[in-house]
Amino acid sequence: MQQALSTLVIHDIKNSLALLEADLEQLNHHAGMPEEAHKAYQRCTELKQRLISFLTLYKHEQSGLKPNLVEVDLLEFLQDMLDVSPSTNGKHGHAFKLEVDESRIRIAPSVKHGGSALLDEYLTGLAIESALNNAVRYAAGSVKLWFEQDADKVTFCVQDDGPGLDHPSGNAPSTGVGVALCKAVAEAHGGGEVSLVDAPDGGALFKLSLHCAT
Amino acid sequence: MQIKPGAGSMAEMIGGKKPTVENEFIQFNKFAALVIDDIGAMRHAMRSQLEWIGINSVKCVANAEEALRQIETRQFDLILCDYNLNRASSGQHFLEFLRNGHLLSAKTLFVMVTAEAEYAYVANAAEFAPDDYILKPCPEKKLQTRLERLFDRRNFLMPALTAMDSKDYARVVSECDKLLALDCNDRWQMAALRVKAEAQHVLNDAENMLATYQQALALNDNVPWVKIGFARAQRMSGNLEAAEISAREIIASHPSYVATYELLADVRLALNDEEGAHEMSTRAAEILPTAKRFRNTAESAFLLGKLDDAKQFVESAIKLSTGSIAEKPDDFLSLAQIQTDLGDPLGAIHTLEKSARKYAEKDEFGVSLNAILAQAYFDSGDTDKAKKLLERSQHLMTANNSSSTAMSRLGKAALKLGDEILGLKLMTRAVQASGKERHRIERHVSKSMKDTGQQDKVGDVIDAGQRRILVLVDETHKLMREAHFDQAYTKLQEALAIHNENIEALLAAAQLHLLWLKQGGWNEEIDSRAKHYLATLDKLVPQNEKVMAFYRFYNQISGA
Repeated sequence: MQQALSTLVIHDIKNSLALLEADLEQLNHHAGMPEEAHKAYQRCTELKQRLISFLTLYKHEQSGLKPNLVEVDLLEFLQDMLDVSPSTNGKHGHAFKLEVDESRIRIAPSVKHGGSALLDEYLTGLAIESALNNAVRYAAGSVKLWFEQDADKVTFCVQDDGPGLDHPSGNAPSTGVGVALCKAVAEAHGGGEVSLVDAPDGGALFKLSLHCAT
Repeated sequence: MQIKPGAGSMAEMIGGKKPTVENEFIQFNKFAALVIDDIGAMRHAMRSQLEWIGINSVKCVANAEEALRQIETRQFDLILCDYNLNRASSGQHFLEFLRNGHLLSAKTLFVMVTAEAEYAYVANAAEFAPDDYILKPCPEKKLQTRLERLFDRRNFLMPALTAMDSKDYARVVSECDKLLALDCNDRWQMAALRVKAEAQHVLNDAENMLATYQQALALNDNVPWVKIGFARAQRMSGNLEAAEISAREIIASHPSYVATYELLADVRLALNDEEGAHEMSTRAAEILPTAKRFRNTAESAFLLGKLDDAKQFVESAIKLSTGSIAEKPDDFLSLAQIQTDLGDPLGAIHTLEKSARKYAEKDEFGVSLNAILAQAYFDSGDTDKAKKLLERSQHLMTANNSSSTAMSRLGKAALKLGDEILGLKLMTRAVQASGKERHRIERHVSKSMKDTGQQDKVGDVIDAGQRRILVLVDETHKLMREAHFDQAYTKLQEALAIHNENIEALLAAAQLHLLWLKQGGWNEEIDSRAKHYLATLDKLVPQNEKVMAFYRFYNQISGA
C-alpha cells in the first residue's frame, strides 16, 4: 500500500512539474518578460529532468529497464536533442553555441544501414540530455555533439570547451546520478561503455557507447 | 536549394533533386488539429503549444466519443491523442476503431501522446501504428520539430494520399512510383513504399505487393511493418508456407508484435488448423487486448467447442467495450448462445432479458435475440414460450435484415424445436447468402447442425446452394459462347435468385451483358443491367482485377 501510494504521489509530482513547465514555457512567449521568468522555466525543466532521471534509475534498480527498440535516424535524433536542451546560456550568462558537429560524424564502412540504429529513443535521450546538461555547465563558449557508428555499436559524443577534468573547477561528476543513469541506459541496450575524459583538443569529452547491431 | 510554398505537389517542386524542404514553408496556420486528453490541464497545455507553433484551429475534447463526433463532421490535419483515455477505450483502441472503420483521411496525421510507462505497450501496435508517438511531457520545441517532420513527409506523399482518399488505388500506385523515382532520403522512400503497398493490398495485387515489400526490405530489413507486410503479401499470393516461415521469424525477433500473430492465425486457418489459429488469436488478444480481438478469440473458441473459454473471452469483450465506441449488442447474443450451449439457459435468458434490454428488439438483433431466447426457453422446459419466440423471430426477419448469422441462429432454434424443414432451409440459405464470409458461416452452420443432431446433413446443406449456382454459371458460359444470350440470362437469374451476391454468378452476369452489348448491338435495357452488375461487383469486391477489366471493356464499347 505504501509503495503504491508513493508511486502515485511521485507521478503526480512529475505530471504537475510538467504542467508547470508548460505554463512557464507559455509565459516566456510574452514579450518583455523579466529574466526571472526564463530562469524559473529553466529551473523547472532541470528539476523535472532530475526527477525523471532519478525515477529511471530507481526503476533500473528495482526491476531493470526494458528497452523499446525502434529505428532511430541518428542525425535527426541529435538535432532533436538540441531542441529540448534546457539552456543555451552558459554559467556566466552569455550565449554560446550548442550544435551537432556533422564533420565529426563517422560511420564505419561495415555498417549496413548507416545513419540509423535500433535504439530506445527515450532512454538514450535521457542519457544524452544529462550529458548535455553537464557539458553546458562547464563550457566556455561551445558544446558539440556527434555520433560514431560501428557495426556493433553506436557511440554518442559530447564535447565542451571548458577547463577539462584536471582543472579544480572542471567537470567532476557532482551527484553521480548522471553517470549512473548513462550506465543503466547502456545496460538496457545489452551493454556499452560510458566515459568522461579530457579531449585531445581541450575541454571534456563524454562518450556513451551502446551495443546494438546497426 | 529553397523551395517556394504552394507550387504544386512536393514531387513537382523537388523535380528530381534531393529534397531540402525548409521548415518555414509548412503553413501551420492552415492546419486544423484535434486534441484528445481526459485531463483538462493537459488539453490546455497542448492547445497553447499548438497555438505557439502556429496552429490556430485547435479543437480539444476529453474522450473518444466526443472525438468521434468531431472526426465525423470535419477533417483534421492532425490528431494528438492521449494514450491513457479514461473509461474503456485507450488511444490505441480508438485508433484501431478509426482505422478499422476507415474513418480517417489518409492525410490526417495521428500522433499518440503517451507517458513513458505506457510506451512499451503502444509500440507493439505495428499494424495500427500511429504516424508518430510523442512521449509526454513534450517541450514545444520538440513537438514543433516532430510535427515539422511529419508534415514534411505528408507534403511529399500528398499526391498519393489524395488518390488514397478518393479510393483510386491504381493512381496511388502510380503516384508513389513517381515519388520513388525522385532522389530523396531513405525514410521518405520507405514512406512512399508503404503507401504503395497499402494500395496494392486493397487492389489484391499480391505479386506487385511482394515486389514493393522486397524493395522496402532492401532499404531496411529491420522495420516491423515491412517484415509483416512482406509475410502478408506472401500469404496473399497463396504461399502459406513462406508466409508462416516469415511470420515465425518476426516472432523470434519481435515477440510482441500483435499483427504477426493475427497473420499466423489467418495462415493456420487457411491450412484448416483451427486449433492453431485459435492459439494465435489468443496470443494477439493477450498482448494487445481489444474488444475486437476478444470477439475473434471468443468465436474461434466457440467454434472449437471450448465453451468455457469462449464465455470468458466474450465477457472480456463486453467488459472492455461497455460504454465505449466499440460497444456491440451482438456480444450479448454471442454470450447468450454460449450460455445456452453450456447448459445454462437461465443464464442466457438473464443475459438477453436483463443485460441486453437496453438495445431495441428490431432488425437483425431482434431476429437473433428471439432465436436464442427460443433455444434457451426450450432448454429450460418452457416449450410454448419457445415456440412463440421462434415465430416472433421469423416474423422480424425480412429480406433486408436476413444476414447469414441471423439465419443460422434462427435455423438452430428451429432445429432444436423440431422444425427440421424450416431449420435446414434457413441453414442452406445462411450458407448461400454468406458471400465473403462463407468459410466462417459454414463453420457456424456445421457446429449448430452437429449440436442439434443433424450431423449427417451438414454436407448437403453446405453444398446445396453453391453447387447449384456453379452448375448454372457453367451452363451460362456455354450458352454465352454460342451467343444464346437470352437463355444464358435466364440461367443466371436462377443462380442469382439462390444468392443475389454470389460473386461467380455476378461476374458471369457482367460478362454476359458486355458480350451482349458488343455482339447484339446497343440496347438501353441491357446497358443498364450491365451497369447494375458492374456496380454491385464493385461494391462487393472493390478494385477486383476482373471487374476493372470489365469496366475498361465497357468504356471501350460504350465509347466513354
